[in-house]
Amino acid sequence: MLERSFFIPMTDRSNEQWLAELTGAPDIQARALEDLRQRLQRGIFYYLSRERSDLAHLSGQELGQMAEDLAQDATLRVIDNLDSFRGDSRFTTWATKIAVRLAISDLRRSRYKDFSLDGLTAEGEVLPASTGDAFPANAAPTPENATERADVMLKIERALREALTERQYQALSAVALQDVPLEIVAERLGTNRNALYKLLHDARRKLRQSLEAQGLTTDYMLKLFEE
Amino acid sequence: MSLHESELHKLIDCIVTSHHDDCLDCESCARELDCLAERVAMGAKINDLLPEVATHLCCCRDCFEEFEALVAILRAENSGQLDAIG
Repeated sequence: MLERSFFIPMTDRSNEQWLAELTGAPDIQARALEDLRQRLQRGIFYYLSRERSDLAHLSGQELGQMAEDLAQDATLRVIDNLDSFRGDSRFTTWATKIAVRLAISDLRRSRYKDFSLDGLTAEGEVLPASTGDAFPANAAPTPENATERADVMLKIERALREALTERQYQALSAVALQDVPLEIVAERLGTNRNALYKLLHDARRKLRQSLEAQGLTTDYMLKLFEE
Repeated sequence: MSLHESELHKLIDCIVTSHHDDCLDCESCARELDCLAERVAMGAKINDLLPEVATHLCCCRDCFEEFEALVAILRAENSGQLDAIG
């Protein structure tokens, strides 16, 4: 854990003031809540409008409405989690962390609302066909190289089928091959992100061990397919 | 590069980035993210501060995306850009 930031707070309240006012008398609490909500809304709007090229098609008004809705939800979440604030950072930074996670989660769910793990099974073809056809013409391997690649590809496919459980296979395929966020895959698997991260860690290790047991080191595979 | 080849490279990359058993998980990383982001927004390097968090961020796209977003907002805040937003 890092020590308290050396940065001098630019907020109008110290951490202690934020905590006291957010749990204070109703009128004081209401003002602090509104200040916090507005602050989170500005941060979220900045992120949506300046950092998310995938939202560039939305108007300023639409982004503003999104930011407002997200800031409202984030403020409630901050209040629900006040007890977990450790004071290692500025209070507003901690609150912004919560808002950022909520906003990004919302965007992920929207983008992957139709995503399903159903088609990801070890029986289906996930990896390239084991022929030279899988490679672009300008990188076509020599006949010897193509045979070697095809052999390695079969070993990789075998490792995927035999070393991993169905759950590990689905998770690895979605996260590593299809770039689906962990959060989305975790939801589909009925687990949480932390547990999925550990599951993926185990899957990677098992896959690596299986490949190495077949004589396929990482360096060898990288070299073979970069030639 | 064909899609198939890119998938293979992703798989190999995924195996390569497999890390040590004592690597942080997402929850542990999230606990450090606010304090770390404050310092990085001020110009510090992650690896100089919390290398174990830096390792996790290299392996976890979700956490990295959230960290980058937080740093971007803090930088905007520090430079006064958020004040211009109504």
